[in-house]
Amino acid sequence: MIDSREASEALSDINDIAERVRQSTIYNLASLTMILWGVLVFAGNLGTFGWPRYAGYVWLAVYATGIAGSSIFSALDYHRTGVRSFGYRMLIALLLFIGFGMFTSWLGHFGPRQLGTFWTIYFMLVYTMVGLWFGVAFVVIGVGVTVLTLIGYFFIGAWFVPWMALVNGGGLILGGLWMRRN
Amino acid sequence: MAELDDVIHQPLRLRIMAALNALPPGAGLEFARLKKLTGATDGNLGAHIETLSKAGYVAVGKAFVGKKPQTTVTASAAGRGAFARHVATLQEIIAASGQKP
Repeated sequence: MIDSREASEALSDINDIAERVRQSTIYNLASLTMILWGVLVFAGNLGTFGWPRYAGYVWLAVYATGIAGSSIFSALDYHRTGVRSFGYRMLIALLLFIGFGMFTSWLGHFGPRQLGTFWTIYFMLVYTMVGLWFGVAFVVIGVGVTVLTLIGYFFIGAWFVPWMALVNGGGLILGGLWMRRN
Repeated sequence: MAELDDVIHQPLRLRIMAALNALPPGAGLEFARLKKLTGATDGNLGAHIETLSKAGYVAVGKAFVGKKPQTTVTASAAGRGAFARHVATLQEIIAASGQKP
């Protein structure tokens, strides 16, 4: 028989592993979703830069593809692990989040530059907040992309949109790949 | 007080069972992911999985993903029961000493 100190260490070990499994499951799905959104945002920004008149349609396609893709990844992940990470509540939350962003954009009469900045920082705010519960990787990505976005807004002139393709799209892709390594 | 489960009590096997029990029933972990989570080496992990498998605590599935072989380890119902009893015994030991678990 073991003493209470050894029993306490064993329980602590069990809790530590359970937490790691939970974090690893979340990171696995989140990293795939981030890479998907990174590619879409990269394409969306390049589309906006090349064909500014059709920017509205481009971003509509980006969001529709992103939500559909995230749902598919979640369904595949659920089939594999039995853990539902992107259920109907998450879908409703995402739609409410996007709806509020659209309302704010309309209310604020944002120009294209402000729109690009607002939507990126708005999404990164969620990443940062999520990171407070689910791991430091989200916080690093959220804060890093926000800082680079603000640098672009204030200091990068006519090349702001391609800058955002690199910073936001590239940042999400790199962040997703980094999470897969961890 | 109930006895500790000798099969589960070994530190690496305890970690393996803790990782598998953190998943919903029927869900498993790939060998590579289990290795990363437990910090074990290939040979060590394989040997301890075999011990758990012989005790009927885990099921080992092998499949090909593309051209790559993939081993998945899943806790059985007996394994989940044994793990729950083991954890309860650990908590009893702590409670008997007057500490908080």
